[in-house]
Amino acid sequence: MRTFGLLEKGDISLTKPLDSDVPDVATGFRRPQRSALGRRFRATVTAYGFLGPAMALVLVFFIVPGILLLILSFTELSSANFNDPWSYIGFDNFSRLFTDRFFPKILRNTFFYVFTTLILFNLGLALLLALVTTNMPRRAGFFFRLVWLLPRLTPSVVYILMWRRIGQADPFGIYNQLFPEFLGASGGNLFLGGSPWTFVILTNGFIGASFGMIIFTSALESIPKDLLTAAKVDGASLWRIIRDIKIPLIKWPLLFISTYQTLSLLTSFEYILLLTDGGPGLFTTEVWALTAYKRAFASYAGNSQWAFGATWAIVLVTVALILAVGYVKMFKFNELIEEPRIENL
Amino acid sequence: MRRRERRFLPLTVLGVVFALVAAACSGGDAGDTTVETVIVEVPGETVTSIVEVEVEVPAEGELVTLVARCRAKPPIEDGRCNNLLRGVVDANAALSAAGDSRRVEVKIIQDNPDAGDYVTEFELASAAGEAPDIIAAGHVNIGTWGASGIIADLTDMLGDFPEFDDVIDSLWSSTELNGRRYGVPQDAEARPLYFRKDLLAELGWAQEDIDSLPARLASGEFTWEDMFDTAEEAVNAGVVDPGFGWWPRPKNGPDFLYFYYAAGGEILDDSGALIYDQAAAQKVYEIVGDAVDRDIMVDTRLDGDWGSWHNGVALGSVLFWYAGSWQWAEWAELFVSDLGGEEYLFENVGFGPIPALAGGTNTPITLTQPFSYMVSSATENVDLALLVISKATTTELNTEYAVTSGKLAILDSQADYEPYTSARFQSEMAPILEFTTFQPNSPFFSSWSEAYYLGIEAVVSGELTPEEAVEVVVDILDNELGDDVIVR
Repeated sequence: MRTFGLLEKGDISLTKPLDSDVPDVATGFRRPQRSALGRRFRATVTAYGFLGPAMALVLVFFIVPGILLLILSFTELSSANFNDPWSYIGFDNFSRLFTDRFFPKILRNTFFYVFTTLILFNLGLALLLALVTTNMPRRAGFFFRLVWLLPRLTPSVVYILMWRRIGQADPFGIYNQLFPEFLGASGGNLFLGGSPWTFVILTNGFIGASFGMIIFTSALESIPKDLLTAAKVDGASLWRIIRDIKIPLIKWPLLFISTYQTLSLLTSFEYILLLTDGGPGLFTTEVWALTAYKRAFASYAGNSQWAFGATWAIVLVTVALILAVGYVKMFKFNELIEEPRIENL
Repeated sequence: MRRRERRFLPLTVLGVVFALVAAACSGGDAGDTTVETVIVEVPGETVTSIVEVEVEVPAEGELVTLVARCRAKPPIEDGRCNNLLRGVVDANAALSAAGDSRRVEVKIIQDNPDAGDYVTEFELASAAGEAPDIIAAGHVNIGTWGASGIIADLTDMLGDFPEFDDVIDSLWSSTELNGRRYGVPQDAEARPLYFRKDLLAELGWAQEDIDSLPARLASGEFTWEDMFDTAEEAVNAGVVDPGFGWWPRPKNGPDFLYFYYAAGGEILDDSGALIYDQAAAQKVYEIVGDAVDRDIMVDTRLDGDWGSWHNGVALGSVLFWYAGSWQWAEWAELFVSDLGGEEYLFENVGFGPIPALAGGTNTPITLTQPFSYMVSSATENVDLALLVISKATTTELNTEYAVTSGKLAILDSQADYEPYTSARFQSEMAPILEFTTFQPNSPFFSSWSEAYYLGIEAVVSGELTPEEAVEVVVDILDNELGDDVIVR
């Protein structure tokens, strides 16, 4: 008899077995014994009942838009033929996309942006901040984490406007005005003009780091103090404690943040749109999601190419799905969320 | 018991509110005489006056509500939608005189969103059956909206409204697609070359040379090449900082098209197909590349940031720049109001047509992109929409709007109308219209424009040479438009 664990194989009891023919404590009546089929049916219904709301959300906000996107990508829907939205043109949009001269550059940019921001900030800086702020007095740690949350609390337009004012070329940007020759900048043109990628990654990273920081902090705080005390008694250095105790014990949050933030960065474009609009010059900081947005919505002279934008988007969705499955397999998520083995103790 | 009553109280209130909303929604076509009051805020120079418009509906009549959507920079362009409101009185008087029992009222939605968002909003609203009856938008949208059929073909109805006979003839071509008219011109502007008089004086120019510059620009004597030489001289003399000799606008827009026209490029052939003239485009790319090479413009100039751009030109850091006539009103109102507003601008800033490109057509040029009132094809009241538009197309209303917003006349009658002729900026800007050109109304122009501008961006940022830029743009156009563009 199991008394703990997830619903499995018809078992919907968390506290007592259903199939026992014992009197009900509350009513005193003897409950009739249910057939195995009935139990399984009830368990299935209960499981789907719990999953229902989440499934409905996934269906409405992911599956249905995904299917619509796929259908759209086989049409030529644009502002110019709104009266004939479903005219089928086969794989023309896909062939246009893959023969686009800048497709390889945009793809390279996307992976560069996603993995540089992820490794340096969303994982690296986040972990560093979590480790540092959990190793200082509690109030001070809380204060510094709050400071790092500020970029996330600031509306994106305001946040980017502030950065633009800092990073503009001399004489408009504060930084370039104050330090025109600092850090190898020539002519007061560091950041937005001279090294736009640094700027894009910094601005996104400062926001992205706070999410991992919060998750890692709570994970680090939940490590049993006994383990750390025992390690210290054994003479382990701070570095050994971090490397051999803390990091292995927060493996799950690390993998979760890697997966979540990869997918999040892959589809994020609003900060780049506001900061550089994919420039300066020739698709210098253009990422895939931004191209999809521009194709579908941002044409100056008014011809929104909905279908072509959908084609860029559906390819992105496919890449994201492949990456998500890859992460799940690579990091063996099933093992991480397996049933507790408490009854084996 | 009391607790129970309280529990039902919110429900009761909700029910009453719902009933009131439902009653309000179902109203509108009642047979009784109704008086509707519409309040219009009319910005003046110092005060905002309020106009009240009363609509009296006869007992057997019907009150039709039209929704008008305008993109306008507040407060200077508020007249764009407000003039429609102010046309309501005359529209109803005309209906009454014609024995028509219908009456019309106008509800406006007016703000200043991004052009792309505005376009998308109208398209999605049209698809959802919620389109406004009237939309004011740049005439280039006629290329796509006319082709898709979401705006009404007005050609056969325009003749019913004598007010439209007053519209300057050449402006009608901006509302046409395949020979049919899809809009009514709402405003017109010019895109001049602006120059700083004080900086030219500092460079050593005599006062009479500065004063005669507009005339020398119009005659073609002072060319684009002369302008670049002067700008380079100013940079070398330290009158302006490197990169501040000449500025075009900071992102894609109609201005870059007159670069192409000035270089001898054509954009539409007789059949209405788009043309990409490689020689003209290369000349444009060489011009902008030359400006960067000579330190007249920095390689990050096309950064899309209007804020620093306005500060640079309005506050006197830049010697020459290309901009719109309406931006004069913006600078006076928003950037130099503390320095004296328009007076300060007249003292320090001059303007004339875009100089002739000696290596191109060798004639001065400018470009006009009239906004147009268009009517949704989904509306059941095209005639009423046109009636209201016709009553907003008057000498008085258009003059007030033009003077407030830095725009130019759209009506022949404004040429003799004292409030217009006495407006210094409008009267000095008007001769520039002699050199005007338009953007084409074509469903494919958007892709053409984006590809062409990409070449400009690539050369300015130093990533491609002009020759390479042409090759890349041809490749993009081929991929984007295929047979819908003629490369020559």
